Amino acid sequence: MYILTRNIFRFAVVILFQVLVMDNVMINGYMIPYIYLLFILLMPFETPRWIQLLAGFALGLTMDLFTGTLGMHTAASVLVAFVRPYLLDLLAPRDGYEAETFPRIHYYGFLWFLKYTLLIVLIHHLALFYLEVFQLKHFFSTLLRVILSSILSTSTIVISQYFVFRK
Amino acid sequence: MRTLLRFIQKYSNLLLFLLLEIIAVVLMVQGSGFQRSKLIALNRQTTGYIYSKVDGAREYFSLKEVNQQLSEENLKLRNRLDILSSSVDSATVISDLRGGHHYFFIQSRIVQNSIFKQYNYLTINKGKKQGVFRDMGVISDQGLVGIVLESSANFATVIPLINRDFRLSAKIKSNNYSGILQWDGSSPRYAVLNEIPFHVELVAGDTILTSGFSSIFPEGIKVGRIESFSLEKGNFYNIRIELFTDFQRLYHVNVIRNYRQEEQLNLENQHR
Repeated sequence: MYILTRNIFRFAVVILFQVLVMDNVMINGYMIPYIYLLFILLMPFETPRWIQLLAGFALGLTMDLFTGTLGMHTAASVLVAFVRPYLLDLLAPRDGYEAETFPRIHYYGFLWFLKYTLLIVLIHHLALFYLEVFQLKHFFSTLLRVILSSILSTSTIVISQYFVFRK
Repeated sequence: MRTLLRFIQKYSNLLLFLLLEIIAVVLMVQGSGFQRSKLIALNRQTTGYIYSKVDGAREYFSLKEVNQQLSEENLKLRNRLDILSSSVDSATVISDLRGGHHYFFIQSRIVQNSIFKQYNYLTINKGKKQGVFRDMGVISDQGLVGIVLESSANFATVIPLINRDFRLSAKIKSNNYSGILQWDGSSPRYAVLNEIPFHVELVAGDTILTSGFSSIFPEGIKVGRIESFSLEKGNFYNIRIELFTDFQRLYHVNVIRNYRQEEQLNLENQHR
């Protein structure tokens, strides 16, 4: 129950922070840091997969409502929610994830979290930016935007961990 | 039947994933155009309040810049007033009075904007109550900004020049040839003018103005200047335009109300 309320609270905080602060931070004409992915990143390991999918759907849909881009964030977030369990398996330490732990820097270290975040962000941004352009004409300029934005989003997310969860 | 059930059970997550993605894609495809504009308007009504609060804080930080812009505009207007008052002809004044006002400007402020997406939108803090309605033009003192897409009681959504859905007729100042002004999604500083035939002589640096071939904008609103042009397979130029409006610093805008818009549209529609 505690974990549920905590995640609902995180959902609201992440969305508000994204819409009110991050969407106004634009660097160099190409990049917006998408920090709202934190919600998906930090969901507990043992969350049932259908809940992860529905949570991703709700997250994306809320973002879409705020940015007026119906469907784009939804599609990208659902995709990320779907691949997350496979990614976690791929990145698992030799003896698996321990019980009572969460996918955070605090438990699995900086390097693990960086790899995890980068992969999730990259998949999300690839889907989001190509759906936004919806054609292959600007393939390379879009790819550049994906890469630059991914770097920015990843670093923002990783740095945010040191501010929010210090214990 | 049992195998079907077992199949569904086994692949339930994959099926759920596909279902959700299909919903997302349907939303994306269906949600273009009308629904999207309705949704944005609804959303602006609720988030408009929050944005205007956030904006209050941002406004404070850009006071200096805004002051600078305003004083520049003041200076320009004063200069024009001087020129006009010396050259004004009493005959034109009378005909203007008889015809009544044609255009009216509603001052407004941007409370939310996006610049770096493919489909950018602006929100301004004037709506139906202040006389802002769909299909009104929006300009700044620098030049063309966009067209009102939808308005709620106190806010309106503007589809700016830097949105891939934007289309407007614009002309070259020196020779009056007009083409279609649109945005290619690459940079908020540049737009493209298409459908200028190949025999027209172009000069880099020439000014692009609105053509007045619609009821939305009066003729001669500044858009930008020609940066470069090329003939791309066919008989039409592809002209790159450096925009006068700096969307990144945009703050105060004017909505143009055309008192004769309805009359003009009615007449035009009779012959469709």
